Parts: sequence; structure tokens; C-alpha cells
Amino acid sequence: MPLTDALPIAKLNQRTWHPNAVLLSLSLVMLAVIWLLNPVSVAPNRIVPGTSYHLLDAVGWFGALLISLLISALVALALLPTRANYRAMLALVIVMLLLMPFGLMVASHWLVDPGLPQARLSIGAASWSLLFILLLCLVELRLRLGLSRLATTLLLSCVGVVWWLSASLWLQNMALVQEFQAREQQFWRATLQHIQLVSMAVGVSVVAGLLLAMLMRRYAKLQKIAFSLLNFLQTIPSIALFGLLLAPLAWVAANIPFLAQLGVSGIGTTPALIALIAYSLLPMVRNTYIALEEVSSDTLEAAKAMGMRSSQRFWQVRFPLALPVLLEGVRVTTVQAVGLTAVAALIGAGGLGTFIFQGLGQAAMDMVLLGAIPILLLALVVDASLGALADALRPGGHE
Amino acid sequence: MIELSHVSKHFGEEAAVDDISLRVAKGKFCALVGTSGCGKSTTLRMINRLIEHSAGDILLDGQAIQSYDPVKLRRRIGYVIQSTGLFPHWTVARNIGLVPRLLKWPRDEVTARVEELMGMLGLPIEEFAHKYPHQLSGGQAQRVGVARALAANPDILLMDEPFGALDPITREKLQDEMVKLQARLHKTVVFVTHDMDEALKLADHLVVMRNGRIVQQGSPLALLQHPEDPFVDSLLGGLERGLKQAALTRVKDHMTSLGQSLPAQSRIPADYSLRQALSMMLRDHCDRLTVVDQQDMPIGELSLRKIVKEAQLDKVSARDAY
Repeated sequence: MPLTDALPIAKLNQRTWHPNAVLLSLSLVMLAVIWLLNPVSVAPNRIVPGTSYHLLDAVGWFGALLISLLISALVALALLPTRANYRAMLALVIVMLLLMPFGLMVASHWLVDPGLPQARLSIGAASWSLLFILLLCLVELRLRLGLSRLATTLLLSCVGVVWWLSASLWLQNMALVQEFQAREQQFWRATLQHIQLVSMAVGVSVVAGLLLAMLMRRYAKLQKIAFSLLNFLQTIPSIALFGLLLAPLAWVAANIPFLAQLGVSGIGTTPALIALIAYSLLPMVRNTYIALEEVSSDTLEAAKAMGMRSSQRFWQVRFPLALPVLLEGVRVTTVQAVGLTAVAALIGAGGLGTFIFQGLGQAAMDMVLLGAIPILLLALVVDASLGALADALRPGGHE
Repeated sequence: MIELSHVSKHFGEEAAVDDISLRVAKGKFCALVGTSGCGKSTTLRMINRLIEHSAGDILLDGQAIQSYDPVKLRRRIGYVIQSTGLFPHWTVARNIGLVPRLLKWPRDEVTARVEELMGMLGLPIEEFAHKYPHQLSGGQAQRVGVARALAANPDILLMDEPFGALDPITREKLQDEMVKLQARLHKTVVFVTHDMDEALKLADHLVVMRNGRIVQQGSPLALLQHPEDPFVDSLLGGLERGLKQAALTRVKDHMTSLGQSLPAQSRIPADYSLRQALSMMLRDHCDRLTVVDQQDMPIGELSLRKIVKEAQLDKVSARDAY
């Protein structure tokens, strides 16, 4: 037993009553938001700006009362935060998330004129804010309850499935659903393209990053040059980089037929991939380099002193110990690439960005959302799964 | 057997180790003692070629270490460091079995050896085999470190302040076990420490270093009786030296047969140290003790006057021996 264990434990938290200020203020803001802002708007067709409706108009007295009661319960529980109450709050937040599509259903039933087939319901400021604040509550609850990343992801996936089902079954009048149904095939193709672009860019930069980081460890001079080059690349705005690549690649395609046959051209996938890889390299190389350097020198010296050859030291000690940090780099890189790929649509590389730029061009906000929401979800899924993988690979299992 | 003759190590202009010569006979325990930065760790690390020496010869069983492949050389030398250097992503059992696996022992032999070592070092297999280093206390981790160093049964063990980071109680316990282990295994050990008491307790041969040079070397008793230098004297505790020397001497070497006079009230076992005997005399206000054997039967007598007189005689003979 370490001697420090025998010391008396200092008594912290002498205060007996301390409400959870975060959840308390979040739920009060929620109450204000749903009564002061409008939860939905209705437009007769795609282009005309819609009319906003108040909570009472959207879900009636009964609905407004129910949601207010739920939020008030959250306020009450946040005043006395015991572990059981945190659990109850988690349940409340999940219930509210699950009820949101049903609220929209009620609103569309009352507000959308069935005689107008083009009429559509859009989600308004109050609903977006409510969703955002509920997710913030979830983050706080996750920390308080010590939930694992995996558990939170599973909970949110359940909510996602319910939303998906209600959207496809009952929310035909919702603008987002209409946008989706109008171009379902295009949507799936774009999603696939997006994933392909991201995985190719990340795949190449993982391999290149590892090689580059290993070279940097061997040749100290290379390290400075490579890092300053990669840092410089990172500072070029993405749209500018796409533009800069246009001319040289078009020239290459025009003058080297072999490469043109391979699909190299001034616009399209090739410049998009080059730019994505250029951006992905810095976080990848930096993390790989730091991960490999960070391994305790005592451990490595012990490995040497035990008679491990240098390749054994690298593959059996340095690399496995660096792996969690390295994966963290892959995670950051991938999340960044998911977002950047949206911009690649500008030069005709396809992907979900297409909807964003088309929607912006047509002033159809719901089409922009059709591109933006899946990108967001994709980033979240990547973040959660790679994060979980890095956790699982921590040396010595879980703490 | 390890032999260093006129070995130096230069880092640039600076000499970290400056012309040292030293010989550790097979099965002997040699401690390198000195303040930090005196070159003792560098000396140790030159033996398994973690650092290559710049001048002089280092011989292992009569053969220059440069003639060995460094990897093979290190596999036959056990190495223990203060921070343990255990691999955090491997279980205790896998850590211990490292060198035998590197030497391509058959799998069941590795398992058997790991189990044997865990038993030897007081690490119950069911409890520890599947733990990871971060789940161990400092003392347990260092036991694993020692087990890993002993795994392939090397003749030579290099230890770099292995117990330096432990709390005093654990440190003393591990030192005691090290004494027992060495009595059983007879390894040729080079042990680096800045703790003189630890060195006195463990070593057959003491080497005091300062600024990369050897100030004095010899048996612990010889150094205690005749420090050649104020630095060695202060390392050995100055005024405390007499007691430290007494701690290294057994009661049975100074007892006389039972006299005519009445046996003394206080009794002391024959294998206790003179230091304990002196302490007992102070505690019980007496100048004579009855020495008893393991069955608590009186076998002799110890008197303060005689201890003091013989300490002087020892001093004379130790000086003659030089």
C-alpha cells in the first residue's frame, strides 16, 4: 500500500445543496425558446418564403402544455442532482428527442392544407434551438453519468431510427422529406461518392503520413521542411486550392494522354482528391510523428537492453504504444475530410456538397439541409467509431 | 566475470567516465556508489553496450565486448532500471517472458519459466499473470522488472537504482529479498545506487565514484574501516561509520565462551548484528549480553569492552591488509 493511502482524505464538497447550473440554465432557455420563437413555418411551395406559426398554433394547448411540463420536470430535477435524478433527466431528454417528430406530425396535420400538394412544413428556429439544447443537455448528462462514447452513440442511433421511420411514414409534408423524395437516387449516389472521396483521401494520407513520419524520425532536417510545407498548405483556403489545381491539371490532362485516360482532369475527382490529401496530410503526419515520438524513452531503452532488434522495437513496442494517439490523428483527419469534401462539389467532384451548392443557388434552404445533415451525421459516426476504436486499443485495456 | 580496464567515455570534450578499472568476479555483487552525475550509470550502460565506451577494454569472461553482437550480448545480460521500463501494453506474464521468447525458447518452456520466476519473486500467478503494469504498485512492478531480467537465466545482472523510486518500507523489503535471491542464484551483479546503506547491505564489493573517476573500491568493511578520502568518509556517514560497520558484523564473531560469572539478563541470538547488540545494551542499561542459539540456549557472552577493543584490532588488521 502506498503510504499516501493512509493519509486522511480531505473533505471536499462541504456545501450540501448545489443544483446543476448547466442543466438548470439550459432547460430555462429551452422554456423561453419554445414560447418566444416559432417552431415551424409553412410555405405553399418550394420557392415562396413560408409563414411562421407559434407553438400554440402548431401543437395546440395540449401539446404546448405537455412540452412545457416535460421541460419543467427537467428544471426540477436539475435543482437536486443526485445520480438517480441524472438518470431521470437522461430519460426525459431522450423522450423529448423522440417526441419531436410527433410534434411536427401534429403541426403538419393542422397547418398544411391537404388541397395544396406543393405545400410544405419547414422546421423553425424554436425546433432547431430545442434540438441543439437537448443535445447539449445530453453532453452534460453523459459527463455526469460517466456514459461511454459507445452508449451515447447507441442512444442517439435509436433516436435517429425513430426519426427516420416517422419521417418516411408520416411526415410527407415536411420540406426536407419532400426534397429527399424528389431526388432519392441522386442522394444515395452522392452519399456514396462522398464516402468514397473521404476514404480514398484518408487512406492515402494514412499511408503517406506514416511513411513521412517515419522518414522524419530518421532525417531530422526533413522534419522542418515537411512541417513548414504542410503548415503552408493548410493555410490556403480550400476553394483557392481547388482553383489553383485547375490550371496545372487541365494542362496535364491535355498534354499527357495516358494520365487523361486515367481520369486526370482540371475538374472532377482528381483535383478534389489532391486537395483533400494535401489538407489531410498535416494532421495525419503531425499526429503520427507525435505519437511515435511520445512513447516513453525508458520503455524503449528497456526494449533495447533486453536485446530486441530495432525492427522488433518498432513493431512490438513503439508502434503499438503509439497506435491510440495515431488513431486519434486518423479521427481528426477523417472528420475534417468529411467536411472539406463538401467544398469539392464546387469543382464537380460530386458528393453531398452538391445539394448544398444547388440549394444555395436556388435559395432552397431545405435542399441545403439535405446535404448538410448527412455530412454532419457522417462526421459524428466517424468520430464516434474511430474514438471507440482508439479507446479499445489503449495499452493495457481500459483503465 | 566482468573486467573493466582503463575505460573512459567522452561525450564531446567532457569525460563522463575517466580511466576506471574494476573487476567483478563471477557470482559477486558489486555496487557503484556516488552522487548523481558521477558516471556510475554510464559505466553500467557501457557493459551492455547501450553506450559504447571511447577508450580502454571491457571484458566479459575474458573476451572484449565489442566482439559480441550487441543484441546477443544484451540477451545474456539481465537489466533492471528504476522506472522498470515494463511494456505497458503487455501483461505481466508476457513482459517476463520477453527475453526467452526473443531467444526462441519453445512456448511451454517460456510458460514454465515465467511461472517459476513469478513464484520466486512472490507474485501469485492467478493474481498477477494477466495484470497490466499500470495495475501494479511500485514494488510489484519492480519485482516484475527483476523477474524479466532473470528470465533467460543470464549470468550477469545490471541494476540501475532499481529500488530508488520505492517508499522506504517496500525498498527495504525488496533489498532483503535481493539478498536472499543472490544467495541462491549467485549472479554476477553490478548495482548502481546513490544510497550508501543499500550498497553496504547488498554488496560484496563497493566502488565509490566521483566526477567519472573511482575514488576508492574494496569490501564494505574495508571501506568503513579505512576511508581514504573525506568524500568517501562523508558518503559512509562520518560519525555513523562505526555503527554501520557494526551492522555488518555478526554477534557470533565477537562472543566469548560463557564465563564463571553470572550470565547477563539480556539475551541476543548469535546471528544478530553487533549494531543490534549495541542497541540492546543501550536499551537495557548493561554492558554484557548472553548470546543464544536458535533454540534460545546460551552459547556465549558478549561484552562491550571487548567489542570496542576488537574494533580497534580490526582497524589495525584492515590497514595491514592494504
